[in-house]
Amino acid sequence: MNRFLPAIAGVFIFGIAFIVFFFWYWGSPKFTDVGYRPVQPVKYSHRLHAGDLGMDCRYCHSQVEQSRHANIPPTQTCMNCHKQIGLDNPNLLPVRESWDTGKPIEWVRVDKLPDYVYFNHAAHLRAGVGCIECHGNVRQMDVVEQVKPLSMGWCLDCHRNPDTHLRPLSELTNMEWTPPPDHAEFVKRFKAERNINPPEDCSACHR
Amino acid sequence: MPPLTKKTGNNTYWRSANQLEDTPEFREWIEREFPEGASELSDPVSRRQFLTVMGASLALAGLTGCRRPVEKIVPFVKAPEEQVLGVPVYYASALPRGTGAIGVVIETNEGRPTKVEGNELHPYSLGGTDLQTQAEILNLYDPDRETLFTDGGALRSWDDFVAWWRRQSLSLSKSRGEGLAVLTGSFSSPTLARLKKTFAKTYPRARFINYDAVSDENRDAGIAAATGRPMQPVYALEKADIIVSLDMDFVQTEADAVLHARQFADGRRVMSPDDSMNRLYIIEGVHSTTGSIADHRLHIPTRRIGAFAAALALELEKHGLTIAGSDALAPYAVHDFNPKWLEAAAKDLVEHKGRSLVLAGRRQPAGVHALVYAINAALLNLAKTVSYRSYGDAARSYGAAVRWLADEMRAGKIKTLLMVGVNPVYDAPADARFAEALQKVENTVLMTMHTSETGTRSRWVLSQTHPFEQWGDVRAADGSVSVIQPTIEPLFKSKSDVELFGLLATGEDKRGYEWVRETWDAGLVHEEDAWRRVLHDGILAGSRSRTSAPPPNSRAISAELNNNPFPLDAPTLQNLELVFRESAKLFDGRYANNSWLMEVPDPVSKVAWENVALISSATAKALRVKQNEGLRIISGGVTLELPAVVVPGMVDNSIVLELGYGREGIGRIADGAGVNVYPMRTADFVIGATAVPTGTIHKVANTQDHNAMEGRPLIREATLETYRESPKFAQEMVHMPDLHSLWKDWTWSEGYQWGLVVDLNVCTGCNACVVACQSENNVPVVGQKQVRNGREMHWLRLDRYYVGDAEDARMVNQPVMCQQCEMAPCEQVCPVNATVHDSEGLNMMTYNRCIGTRYCSNNCPYKVRRFNFFNYTNEYPELLKLAQNPEVTIRSRGVMEKCSYCLQRINRAKFQAKTENRQVRDGELKTACQQACPAQAITFGNINDKNSAVSKLKANERNYGMLSELNTRPRTTYLAKLLNPNPELAEPTFDSEYVPREGGHGGSGSHEREHV
Repeated sequence: MNRFLPAIAGVFIFGIAFIVFFFWYWGSPKFTDVGYRPVQPVKYSHRLHAGDLGMDCRYCHSQVEQSRHANIPPTQTCMNCHKQIGLDNPNLLPVRESWDTGKPIEWVRVDKLPDYVYFNHAAHLRAGVGCIECHGNVRQMDVVEQVKPLSMGWCLDCHRNPDTHLRPLSELTNMEWTPPPDHAEFVKRFKAERNINPPEDCSACHR
Repeated sequence: MPPLTKKTGNNTYWRSANQLEDTPEFREWIEREFPEGASELSDPVSRRQFLTVMGASLALAGLTGCRRPVEKIVPFVKAPEEQVLGVPVYYASALPRGTGAIGVVIETNEGRPTKVEGNELHPYSLGGTDLQTQAEILNLYDPDRETLFTDGGALRSWDDFVAWWRRQSLSLSKSRGEGLAVLTGSFSSPTLARLKKTFAKTYPRARFINYDAVSDENRDAGIAAATGRPMQPVYALEKADIIVSLDMDFVQTEADAVLHARQFADGRRVMSPDDSMNRLYIIEGVHSTTGSIADHRLHIPTRRIGAFAAALALELEKHGLTIAGSDALAPYAVHDFNPKWLEAAAKDLVEHKGRSLVLAGRRQPAGVHALVYAINAALLNLAKTVSYRSYGDAARSYGAAVRWLADEMRAGKIKTLLMVGVNPVYDAPADARFAEALQKVENTVLMTMHTSETGTRSRWVLSQTHPFEQWGDVRAADGSVSVIQPTIEPLFKSKSDVELFGLLATGEDKRGYEWVRETWDAGLVHEEDAWRRVLHDGILAGSRSRTSAPPPNSRAISAELNNNPFPLDAPTLQNLELVFRESAKLFDGRYANNSWLMEVPDPVSKVAWENVALISSATAKALRVKQNEGLRIISGGVTLELPAVVVPGMVDNSIVLELGYGREGIGRIADGAGVNVYPMRTADFVIGATAVPTGTIHKVANTQDHNAMEGRPLIREATLETYRESPKFAQEMVHMPDLHSLWKDWTWSEGYQWGLVVDLNVCTGCNACVVACQSENNVPVVGQKQVRNGREMHWLRLDRYYVGDAEDARMVNQPVMCQQCEMAPCEQVCPVNATVHDSEGLNMMTYNRCIGTRYCSNNCPYKVRRFNFFNYTNEYPELLKLAQNPEVTIRSRGVMEKCSYCLQRINRAKFQAKTENRQVRDGELKTACQQACPAQAITFGNINDKNSAVSKLKANERNYGMLSELNTRPRTTYLAKLLNPNPELAEPTFDSEYVPREGGHGGSGSHEREHV
């Protein structure tokens, strides 16, 4: 028994270390959530609409500056154009069906926070956080995927150090924008004017 | 171990008879926060079953972690205009209450109502609500609602009913309505009144009967005797310095309690020693919430209160007043009522002529109300503290009419009976024998919101809308008229009473909106803008009626008194009095399937989930019945068994029975809850009952012993006189040891710092705040068994203490919620940091981090932390999920929860203010409890703002923190309660000033931290 004890102990310690590493690495949202790209009921391409055609994000996600939710548009928004355009396009069949029958389209949610977390889009847009910061360059996505881990630690990284993630309000939906040389100065002014101080208390998101 | 009953000042505070007796079993119970055996699985599950279940769940748990659950986002097809998801929309409306109304503002989220608030613009409720109004959301989303139209059990549609009715009306119009009767509750509504009139014209021989099981009929008859016609009293309690209530529980169960609580509070609020406060005398045969806030309480049997009123009138005449009708009072001149009490009350009234008020409750016979009218007239109170408004087109309740109707039905004279929103099989007077009479009617139609005892015996059952989903209108007691507007399309295919009456009256099947609009366009509003304004405000401005105060008719009052003399006999042990009391929670039983109301502990007995027989401790001893032992009561040939609960301060030989329980088969909440006492109810109070103990001890869910705070000084009170002599009495009542902190103190000087103050002087103990909190924060309901185990989830509770001895105790109430301690004991012991403090002074609770050790709750001296022992929320019926507030997380099993100062409201207000580049205004942000309170006892706000209302209250001398000597530094503080006793009456339960503690103020640092 005594002869094997060091070996057993070694295996044990290695085992525990491996299990910890296993969950730390493969259990983190960076692994489990980033890259999530579910199949949607409609083959809607953001690359075509928001990228090539240059539609602004807020044309469809219209309530994002007033509400905590960035709303998915109703079928009516799609039909604004597609009553006349793409009449023969088979990709639009589910949309037309929804419009005709009155049954809504059941989109699959991609960027999702747990139910016990409160996230307010309007507050973030007001603070100058661009869409790309959390959602990635959606204008280049044929199928929407999650590009950021959206974990609490990742959120706190920005909350503790927001300056590099803020931009002028006119550039919120601009995926090509890069901070100009005087960005630091702009941020200082911007934060003072708009009273931006991202909360680090639990009560900000956990209610 | 300090004594469990604690002297604060010179009073001894105790919670229950058990506590007074202080038996060793009780001690053991008290010392454990969660009673012995509560954490064990006591349901009969065998070990094998247990292992099977556990094994299966372990196997499954391993596999489900792999795939991420798919969540769908389902937008509209055509989005409604102006509806921003996530931003609530508020609708002003009103809820009918008998012949009155309560103005409400309904918050809707995502197109459905989720919370009810009071409407501040409504002159007759002033923004207050009561617990039943707060619970209306659950009535709307009740999974046991009646959702179908059926004819003899077969499924039909509304159109089928319309066709049927039109066929009936052909023959009925020929006979001009012979054999047709409509039975509904009382109402005061321009549209319903108009339709009733049209109905009467169409069917002149038809009968239209209004009946409420609990009504103000006696008051109407009394005022009719005094003045010639029934009138609606409009009180101004805030103008009364002396109030004498004869069995009128005007802050809880009587009509317009919300407004009266506010008026009373306005007359009672004291901010400085120079302020005056009113004085309340109450004479009652029950123990009521109003009794708990009275300065002087005399308990006499309910049946003798009439004789007391007569004695009071005669006593007033000794001071030179002339009371109309007093020539009929000779039989009451000799009495055995406490002469000192009577003299003092009478003298007080006389000294405050024109600034006093005498009130009588709905159980008292008409003669008492007539006499009270005469007394108020003699005291020159008419047109000052009380005036009267003509009922106009209101339809009032008549018990005699329902008895007559039952007789007609039995005689076969009624062929078609339409019942709207009533349940006569359950709550009609017992001697009417309505169920039996109903069998004789050929065509019975019941329109109801809920399956009911009447519904199972009716041919047609029509699903009725809830006021939140229909159009209508209603007049409050002062005449102010509001439109009832829907906040959602009917959830089921229901129809409203307006639509039914419209069909009955005219044969036309129109939408409720059209009927209401017709009424309003005919004279109440003259243009579209005015209509929109009414919808927006919830009230038609300037629609209060004129009031009058005619002099009393002495001859008529004498006639009433002579024809219906007051009982002179007193109940004895062999001849017990039974008092049938409307439930403070369920009213007459209509809310029996409402889980929030079932679970809220009754304000007086603190019993949840059932009704009990309330008796005095002397009577309990005489009957040899123990607490919670079954009591078999026999009255008028009916036998009922209820658990007996001793209420100190109850009058001897009188048993109080609460109405509204024992409703079988109508829903999952009402089933098995309590005993139906209506079969015994031939009048509001009867005599001649006997009672014997049964020997079975029932398991009553009584919360009065839960969370006992073990002898620490919690409620601080004194007389007004003491306050004037020593304004700082509240702070001096408790010795404050030298307080040091182990940790470095935070500086709380930046930004918003939230604080809350509860003014115990105006809190009536009505429980509106408790249900409001439950509604706003998705607090689950746990059921009777778990309430017995002390696991009720109410974030805000009302602690009720008795002061005095078991024979004659006074009741005091204290609302307790998380005190948001700056030095929170709970934060210091959480092993996973799930509860921490934020920079604005809130103690935060992060549900997902909590692992359920419950150490925080163990450490909390206030016992305000509630633990989810079971998964109370995962089996909600789909309909019930709609009632949840989307702004607040739904908690699962294994996490602790507690009051968060309505964090969701705080954050919403802060963000709103930020977008407008300003600070949150004082008063803009209200917690749910603050908003619901009819007496405005709760004030919340930013204590960093020296001008905010809450800062001013915290600077008041009466302000104290509960258990602040433990150095918890609570952000929730209380204003000490004041009593205003008559100096000529030695109040038996409160007899001297506070005793200043040795060591004085602040204390010298040398002596040890003492136990107080």
